[in-house]
Formats: sequence, structure tokens, C-alpha cells
Amino acid sequence: MSWWTESRERLYALLFRAREEREMAQELSFHLDMQTAQNERAGMSPQEARRQAYLALGGAEQVGAQMREARGVAWLEHITRDLRHGWRSMLRTPVLALVVIVSLGIGIGVNTAIFSWIQAIVLKPIPGVDDSRGFYLVEPRNEDTAPAANHARPQQSAGIRLNVSWPEYRDLREHLQSFDELIAFRMLPFTVGPAGDAVRAAGQLVSANYFTALGIEPTLGRFPSAHESARAQAEPVVVISHDYWQTRFAESAAVVGQTLRINDRDVTIVGVAPRGFQGTVLGLNFDLWLPAELAPLLLTGSRELEERGTRAYSAAGRLRPHVTLAQAQAEVDAVMADLALTYPESNANVRADVLAYWRAPRGPQQFLLPALAILQGIMLLLLLAVCANTANLLLARATMRQHEINVRRALGASRWRIVSLLLSESLVLALLGAGAGIAIAYWGTNALRAGPMITAFPIKYNTDVDALGLAAAVLLGITCGLAFGIAPALQLLRGSTHGTLRSGASAATRSALRSTLMGVEVALALVVLVAAAIFLQNFSETRAVDPGFERDGALLAAYDFSGRNLDDAQLRIFAAELLQRVRALPGVESAAIARMVPLDIHGMPVRTFTLEGRARESAAADQSAINIVTPGYFTTMNIPLLAGSDFVDLNDPAAAPQVIVNEEFVRRYLDGAEPIGRRVQAYERTFTITGVAATTLYNSFSESPTPLIYYSYRDRPSMAGELHVRTRPGAELALAPGIRRVARDIDPLLAIYDVRTLNEHVDKNLIFRRIPARMFVVLGPLLLVLAAMGIYAVVAFTVSRRTSEIGLRLALGAPAHRVIAQIVRETLRVVTIGAAIGWFLAFIVYIHVAVGRPLDPAVFLGVPALLVLVAAVAAWVPARRVSRIDPMRTLRQE
Amino acid sequence: MSPKERSDLLPGTLELLVLKTLSVEPMHGWGISQRIAQMSRDVFQVTQGSLYPALVRMKRRGWVKSEWRTTENNRSARYYMLTRAGERQLAAEQDAWDRSSAAVGWVLHWREGSA
Repeated sequence: MSWWTESRERLYALLFRAREEREMAQELSFHLDMQTAQNERAGMSPQEARRQAYLALGGAEQVGAQMREARGVAWLEHITRDLRHGWRSMLRTPVLALVVIVSLGIGIGVNTAIFSWIQAIVLKPIPGVDDSRGFYLVEPRNEDTAPAANHARPQQSAGIRLNVSWPEYRDLREHLQSFDELIAFRMLPFTVGPAGDAVRAAGQLVSANYFTALGIEPTLGRFPSAHESARAQAEPVVVISHDYWQTRFAESAAVVGQTLRINDRDVTIVGVAPRGFQGTVLGLNFDLWLPAELAPLLLTGSRELEERGTRAYSAAGRLRPHVTLAQAQAEVDAVMADLALTYPESNANVRADVLAYWRAPRGPQQFLLPALAILQGIMLLLLLAVCANTANLLLARATMRQHEINVRRALGASRWRIVSLLLSESLVLALLGAGAGIAIAYWGTNALRAGPMITAFPIKYNTDVDALGLAAAVLLGITCGLAFGIAPALQLLRGSTHGTLRSGASAATRSALRSTLMGVEVALALVVLVAAAIFLQNFSETRAVDPGFERDGALLAAYDFSGRNLDDAQLRIFAAELLQRVRALPGVESAAIARMVPLDIHGMPVRTFTLEGRARESAAADQSAINIVTPGYFTTMNIPLLAGSDFVDLNDPAAAPQVIVNEEFVRRYLDGAEPIGRRVQAYERTFTITGVAATTLYNSFSESPTPLIYYSYRDRPSMAGELHVRTRPGAELALAPGIRRVARDIDPLLAIYDVRTLNEHVDKNLIFRRIPARMFVVLGPLLLVLAAMGIYAVVAFTVSRRTSEIGLRLALGAPAHRVIAQIVRETLRVVTIGAAIGWFLAFIVYIHVAVGRPLDPAVFLGVPALLVLVAAVAAWVPARRVSRIDPMRTLRQE
Repeated sequence: MSPKERSDLLPGTLELLVLKTLSVEPMHGWGISQRIAQMSRDVFQVTQGSLYPALVRMKRRGWVKSEWRTTENNRSARYYMLTRAGERQLAAEQDAWDRSSAAVGWVLHWREGSA
């Protein structure tokens, strides 16, 4: 109770300060009057009475000060006063203040932006769901004993990652006690809309308990009940996303009960998901959620709900309270071992890992998180360099206030008050810098999101700067403010205790601190600049890497027959017809259809196969990346065929099923034997190897050579495909209308979407490298400029202190260039030491991070040279200026 | 009374005295200091300067509240009065004081052989 009254009183004291002061004065003067009157009645003269009254009170000023202390808000008033003082003195040197605020803003801003991104992935992996950190994935893994090189994609541990099959999910859900509610989901593209006017939408097939387990509430309508999900085939239902509701239905309240035509079936909308919820796959943005029971209906011919071998789902859930990760893992191991015994064909050698969401093995965060962590480290170094720079600038300016500080001390200000005064100025700068930083972070995260990230599934990271990010920014600001404010504050204090009120006292020791700071700043700047150079170089190299196929002059267009009831023959006829007509279009050099385009962010599918005549190395089958292509693919993509020939015509009925393998496949699995004619077994059929294609890039620019099997569209036509069209570079997009027309002529119900050039497609793969590259293109030069400014300020200040000495030397006949050279040399000594330290730091980090790669001389020699050159110029300018002064003037000043 | 016979106030008792004074009737600061001197038969001459900070503290703790009134001489002065919390505080402190002073008395006047 009294705590409340106390706080209230303090608040009043703060708010009504002026009035309180007035009343206090009034009260004390009343007291004095009464005492004076009493003294007069006792016989004293009026003056004596007054004086005695004053003495009895103990001095009105003193009492007033004590009363203010007793109010309990004195410290707050001190701080507000100091902050105001800091604000005013900042205004007196606007240029310095601007430089500091802008540089701090950039430093804090980039740090906050990256921090928000990392936080979005790690702390809030499922946007829209509270405490989604508590969700764990159950990720099966095929424990292949083959060496790690036998994988189509780099993996975390031995074994190939697998999805969960629906029957397996049911077993896990039934037997796992450690999980509260295990959910299952898979992602799919859907065709939405009436025939002829269909668009693509990304959606998830989910288990009945999906929404309840996530703990979210619908914005409108409801989520399907368990009963509704079970009966979904009779009465299909769907939940749409908030974004979809906004863009397609204009937030109409009548959307519940409306019908959507999905994959050529009528589905009823029962609810709208809450705002901000975008599904349960990290980084992807979904529009539709349908019960998994609808799979057979929407994906014609799908038997995924019964087949244990069809692994298409992901499973996740919250751990029960008090269950540790180790316990959950142990239980999962036991259940999976059980399943391996009961169902050996699908589950032999299959184990599962319980993983935190941000460690999900599929998706961009695999390489994103380590990259972000490194980036954050570098940005923190940048911020430190900015702080060192600011400290130097403030130090230089603070020495001019030595006189003022000495006077304050002489008047009785305590050391604490002096430090508080000086720190408050730094804090004002730092908080303004933090404000600028927050603005930059907001803009930066918006810019990140504005980038086109539409691939097969729209990517959307919720990287908003939220409360935690803001708090981080402010905390960074305060820390920086204290860090670079302490140095000048301590310096001034130490100077003042010499007690000298004389101006012109020399300060040799101070230069040591300035030099150290300058050296530190140069070291840090060098590390950041080297990192920036490496990033940029890596990025430009990657862009120039030959992917193995020709990037320029190719157009891509996607189509999807999923949900339509077409058989293999019809698909073949469509493909043949489409290719024939497209090839007839003017400007088309060649055309082909393939299931997947290389360097897609989502990666080539991986499937099992058996090579006849090759002994299996383990119980599990061999796996390889696959693609399905029509004849003419290799010509269109300009991939050389190294042996054998292309696939036979689509409509050739006679030939046996064929495959073409790539060079890496031959190297890995055939061991020098003749590949043509060898047989491969997959999908319960036998294929004959008819050709060998050159190995190209399939998934990412930094992958090691990957084996791949090309299946012929004739043998395994796919529902969805990508049309590849080769034409003159620059003329790609002009073909788009023609292609659409052709497709419509053949099949008016089919939607052609995602028309883009092959170059655009490949560039998207680089999008996660492009972002840091762009950042460094801006930050690198900026840091260089900042370092130059810092050095300039320090040198300018140093020589200004030594004008008398310099003037004397000039007067005595020393040539100006010698004087300049000496000053520059002194500065460069510190700079080179700092640069050397920074170089070693960068070197050590580089060997650890980029294992085995040779040092690039352009980076490791060029960058330090550039920095030293800039430093030399920054030191030369003020030195030259001071050497021009009239020696007689400076001597007279003495 | 001669200065020799004046006592210094133990810390904390100033507030107790103020509470007691105000329990009789609301009063302004000047009046409080006069009244304390009078009630203590001049033993306690409150250093007037320490009274006002004490009043500020007590107001902050919610034991007294103040309002501006006019005196008989038609001057405006700040009058202090006890709040209910202040009354409770006075009763509590009075209790504590009585108990401890009695105990001190027993100790000081203890003789051999008495119970």
C-alpha cells in the first residue's frame, strides 16, 4: 500500500515540479515571517529578529535542498537536467553530432535487422502461433552406411532425410507419449478456380488436430472438427489464410460457406486462419489448409494415406510438460525401431530425430542460419569500429572542455556528477543513433520482404522488427553510448584532478589513448572490410560459375495437370503436341519439357534405384537425384551428351524404357564399366541406360558433383512440368504470349504460370547471397569513409595542439614537406599496427571458416593496402593545412 | 531552558513527535515546531530546518497530507493533517515506544534479588 502512495507522490513531484517549488518557497517564507514576528515580540530589533529567524531555520537554501532530496526524485531531476544539457551541447557541434548519429544508426540498424531475422527463424519459427519455439519436428532418416558422398544433397548426419508416411504418422501419434499432440502436414501446389481461369495457390494437407494443436483461433468461421475431417471426402472443407481472404475475397464476411474449386473439385470454405499465420513450414507462405483425408480426391490416384512407402508428410508437436528432449528422442527411437521390425520394406534402417524447428533439415534456413550468424558477428564488429571512431571524435572534442570541467570541480561538483554530465551527452547521441538505427532496420526488413521470392512456393520470412528487436536496438544504443562516452569522461576527470585552471596545459598522455582507439578502429575496420571483400568476391564468382547449361536465351513456363484425371497416354499426347506447336513458333530454336528446373531453391527430388550388376553396399537401396525430360532437353539446355544418344521420340511405342545418366553417376556407380546398355531398376520397372550427359549444377552453386538419372517423359510422364524454350538471348519474354496461346489452343482448361527466363530462375537461387552482398556494397565504402574521418579528426586535433611546436620548427627553417612527412609517418605507425592486428584476426577466422581455400591476394593484400592508403591521405590533409600556417602567428600565440 | 538541558532527538523520533502533534489538530510547519517545543517542555527544540524535510518524507509515505489554508492573520499557510495510515502508524509506534522504554526502564532499575 505504501509503495503505491510513495510512487504516486513521486510522480506528482515530477509532474508538478514548478508548482512544488513555488509552494516550498512560500512555506519557508511563512515560517520565517512567523519566527521573525516571535523574535520581535521577544524584544529583538527587526533586522536582528530576521537574522535570528534565518539562523534558527538553518538557511533557507539548505532546507530547500534537503526538502528536494526528501521528495525522492532528485536523481531523476538530475538526469533530466543532464540530458537537456547534453542535447544543447550536441546542438553546438551539429556536424559531429550528425556524423555520430548516422554512423551509429547504420551500425545499430544493420545489427537489429539481422537480429530480427535470426530471431524470426529461431524464436518464432511458426508465425502466428504463440511460443512456437516449443514445437519439435520428428524427422526420419535413412541410416545409410554408405559414405556421405553418396547423397544428392549435403546432409547433417549420415543418412538421407525422409518424410513421414501417413500410416507411420498414425503409429507415431498413437504410441508417442512425450508429445502433446502430434500433427502431420505436407505442402502442395493447388490449382484453384474454375476451369480456364485457374490460378496456383500453395496449400497444406493437414491432420485433423492441426489447428487445435497449434492453439490458434480462426478469424472467421471455424476450423474443421475431427469428425468433419474424417468425412472430408464426402464433404470437402478448406480453411483459407488471412492474406488470401484479403486479396481474393476482399475480407468479405460471407466467405464462410462459399465454394472454392480446388484441383477441379468443389470444396467448401469453413474458416479463415488468423492474421499472420502462414503455415508450418519455415519460411513458406500458404493460402489453403485441407484435411489430409482429401488426398485421394485432390491428387488423383494418390494412395498416400495407406501406403507406408509413400513418404510425403512432416510430423511435429509440442513436448508434454516436464518431458526433456532426450526422453522424447529415446521414445521416438524405440517406436521407430519397433516399426522397422514390423514393416521392414518401408522402415528398415529408418530412424527419426527430434529436432527444434529452426534445425529443420529442409528449407533455406539450413544454410541461412549459419550465414546469418556470421553476418551478425561481422556487423557487431562494425558497430564496435563505429564506437571506437565516435570515442575518438568525442575525445578530441572533450579536451576542449577541460577548462569548463575544472571550474565545475572547483565549485564542488562531485566526480559522479561530472561523469553523469558527460555520459548524458553521449547517451543523447547514442539514443538518437538507436532511433535512426530502428528506422533503418524497419526500412531494411521491408526491403528484404519486398524482394520477389516467389518460387514454387512463396517464401515469406516474418522479419519484422518487433518488441524484442526494438529492445535490442535500444540496449545496443545505451551500451554504445556508455562505451564511447566513458573514455572522454574519464579523460576529463583525470585532467581535472590536476587541479589546474590554467589553459594551455599540455596533454601528452592523452594521445596514448587516442592512438590506441585509432589503432583499434583500424583493426576492426580491416576485419570487416576483408569480410565484405570476401563476400562480394564470392558472390560475383558464383554468378560467373558455369552451371553446366546455357543460362541466356531460355524461357521457362510451368503447367500442372494435378487433379485432372489424365492417364499416361494423354499426358504424352499433350507433351508431344505442345512441343510440336511451340517449336513452330517464330524465334524458337528448340524446346523441351522437364519435370524440374535445375537450381530451384527446393532441390531435385531424390529417389531409390538399383543398378543391375552392382552389389548393394547396405540394406537400403541406392538413391539418386532424378529429373524427367522429353527428347530434345539436352539440346535446349545445351548440356553436352558425352556418350550414347538422346531419348527416342515420345510416341515411339516399341523401345524399352530408357534412362540417361550423368557423368557423376557413371563415375560413382559404374567404376569405369561401359554405361550404355546397363540396366537400372526403379519404380518396379527396368530401364536401360541409353546415354551419358555432362554433370551440371542441380541444387546450389556450391554443391559437389551429384549423380542424377534422367527419365524419359515417354516412360514416366509427369502431371506437372516446365516448358523450356531456347531462343535468342534478349528475346525470351517475347515468346510468352505465343506459348500461352498455344497451350490454350491445345487445352483451354490448363493454366500456364510462372513464366520467367532461365536467368531469372537461376538468380533467385542466389537471393540469399545477394542480400549480404548488397549490404556490403554499401557498408564497405561507408566504413572506409568513417575510418578516414576518424583518423582525420585525430590527426587534425593532434596537430592543432602542437601548432606552437610546428610553427617553431617551420620558423627555424624546417622544410614543410619534412614536417608533413613526420606527422603522417607517426600516424601511419599506429595505423599499420592496427591493420596488422586486424589482418591476423581476419586471417585466423578465414582459415577456420573457409577451410582449404587459398588466400586470395586481391583481398588479403588489396584491402589492407587500400586502408593504409586512405589513412595516409586522411593524415596528410590536416598535416598539410597546418604546415601552411604562418609560423609567426603561432609563435605570437604563445 | 539552558542549552545544557536540551536533548538531541533520537533519529526517527522526530516523525513520531510530528505524528503526535498532528493527532491533536491539523497544523502548519511553524506551529508544529512550536508545539513540539511546548509539549516537551522545551527539552526538544527541533532544529527547524530538519522539520520540513521530515514532513516531505512523511507526506511521501502517505502518513500526512497537506492543504493550503488561511491563518487567523489572514495569511496563507500549508497545513498538515494525519491520514488514516498516519493514525495507524502513530498507534503502532506509540506501542513500540511504550514497550521498549518500559523494558529499558526495567533494565536500568534492576536490582539484585528483584524478580
